[in-house]
Amino acid sequence: MNAIVESITKEYNNHILEVSTSQNETYLTVKKEIIMKMCDHLYHHLDIPLVCIFATDERKEEGSFKIHYVFSVDREDAFIILRIDIDGKNPRYPSITNKVAAANWYEREIQDMFGLIPVGHPDPRRLMNFEDWPAGVHPLRKDFDIKTKPPRIKGEYAYRRVEGEGVYEIPVGPVHAGVIEPGHFRFSVAGEPIINLEIRHFYTHKGVEKLFENISLDKAVFLAERISGDNSVAHAVAFCQAMEKIAGMDIPPRAKHIRTILLELERIYNHIGDIAGIATDVAFSFGAAHANKLKEDVLQLNERITGSRLLRGMNTIGGVRRDIGSKKDEILVSLSVIQRDFRKLMGLLFSTPSLMDRIETTGRIYNDIAKGLHVVGPVGRASGIDRDTRRDHPYAAYREFNFKVPVSKAGDVHARTIIRGDEVCESIALIEQALWSLPEGEIRIKADDIPDGNALGYCEAPRGETIYWIRTCGNKIERCKVRDPSFCNWLSIEYAVLDNIVPDFPIINKSLSLSYSGNDM
Amino acid sequence: MLEILIKTIKTGCQTTKYPDVPEAAPEGFRGMPQLLSDKCTFCGECVRVCPPGVITITEKNNEKTLALSYCGCIFCARCEEVCQSDAVKLTQEYELASLTKEDLVTIIRRKL
Ligand code: SF4
Ligand code: SF4
Repeated sequence: MNAIVESITKEYNNHILEVSTSQNETYLTVKKEIIMKMCDHLYHHLDIPLVCIFATDERKEEGSFKIHYVFSVDREDAFIILRIDIDGKNPRYPSITNKVAAANWYEREIQDMFGLIPVGHPDPRRLMNFEDWPAGVHPLRKDFDIKTKPPRIKGEYAYRRVEGEGVYEIPVGPVHAGVIEPGHFRFSVAGEPIINLEIRHFYTHKGVEKLFENISLDKAVFLAERISGDNSVAHAVAFCQAMEKIAGMDIPPRAKHIRTILLELERIYNHIGDIAGIATDVAFSFGAAHANKLKEDVLQLNERITGSRLLRGMNTIGGVRRDIGSKKDEILVSLSVIQRDFRKLMGLLFSTPSLMDRIETTGRIYNDIAKGLHVVGPVGRASGIDRDTRRDHPYAAYREFNFKVPVSKAGDVHARTIIRGDEVCESIALIEQALWSLPEGEIRIKADDIPDGNALGYCEAPRGETIYWIRTCGNKIERCKVRDPSFCNWLSIEYAVLDNIVPDFPIINKSLSLSYSGNDM
Repeated sequence: MLEILIKTIKTGCQTTKYPDVPEAAPEGFRGMPQLLSDKCTFCGECVRVCPPGVITITEKNNEKTLALSYCGCIFCARCEEVCQSDAVKLTQEYELASLTKEDLVTIIRRKL
């Protein structure tokens, strides 16, 4: 870690204004003119992924806005955070999207939420504030009151157009056929193959980050739990870990084990559900029914051990709220039955030609695209990105256990299905290890007062790397940035569908398992 | 094909007769919270901690009223956790569908 920081401080010596370190996070305040060069250097030359960009409004304390670029040094379990100051009177800064494509949505988000303009952004359209939202109103600025109801105005959104002989446009959504959340997909097709897709989201943007700033600490974890319904545990754990890091708190070992078990149970039911979805979308209803049955078995197990099918209400700052140690045998027995059935099911799925026909080579995301967009989680791993927060930045009790991180290079629906299947088996093995070595003792420690400070909380949700950055002040949340994995992965669908036929879109979409709710925060 | 057939027969019927035959939620289930008027001291602690703020306490005409609405309850059991008098408990009840909002409120009162 020191070596990397040293090398960049040497190289950019004249441009670095301040260096500070807290635990595994190194903050470098740099001049804004150099930011594009530094990000490019870290991302492309040192191969350090950019995992989040967010802004803070510190005009009151420091007289400026700040933008933070979070880089994850996976090899050394560390983070480098570049920080630039932006004067409130001239809220402009150089965009890095032309060099680092992964910055695209973050910069547009900051433009909408804070009114800071990324100069040179290739697509400066609005992202979250829709066209009926008045100009100059930026909800995450500190002087924007949460009760404000801005008037609606008239405006229009310009979609990219693909024109040519025989090119048709197919608009889908935002209202869909099933009970799912809203999102707009605009396909351009030439015959059957898709030649372009543009997605538009954020129809249900709820202002979660603003809500965090207006809620007391003990209630905030319940809000985090509800950001993305089926990734409840992951969000709650990432939130709690950030808080515990700020407080310098080491939670009891038993709580760490229980968190690990909950996180893995969540991964199991999500992955099996996704596999069921893929089977449904290729009309292999037999496989879908069996996978759904297995998912239901896991949900009922969840309910029996925690009282909640989606494992909610279990995490709290300082540990967990319920002990599940007494249910050890029940969990082990249920999981061994589920594992046996699951293995059989996967064997059956992969030996069914009508299914394989549809998923092999479908929806390919090439490694360079996945890297460029910073695709995370099982989708990234299916495209050859060997990253997993559990291994690279171990949290909860993961340091103590052995597990493999399955990776594949193929990048198609088939690869994503295999990765999920393998991860389910790894998760079951992890739960077994955690239960066998479950330490005795407390499950939570008191955490009434959290000191002022800031820290990153991170976690590998079923969908991938989930990141929180929280700053507390006076026992309140001053800023809470949430980065859900779907925010990184949604754009990859625009590439995955290219050259595929329209009827394969649902399978590709399912195999990417993208959350609207986690994205439209 | 044969494999699928065998598996189907082996798995058998998986659906249950619910709602014709009621199904009890397991022990420890976080269901509808219940207020116990004889135990409650109207201290207001549950009101303070409830994340969605669905418990309210009011005082009028020398009478204290504690009302809990299930419409927004997230079944987090914070109320149960903080109550010193065991006056609020989460039950195993989960069938909460109703035609009116009024059905979804439980109220206890105490004359001062
Ligand atoms: S239910 Fe318990 S916490 Fe709530 S007012 Fe009554 S005694 Fe106090
Ligand atoms: S269970 Fe939670 S949401 Fe429901 S009333 Fe109690 S504290 Fe409020």
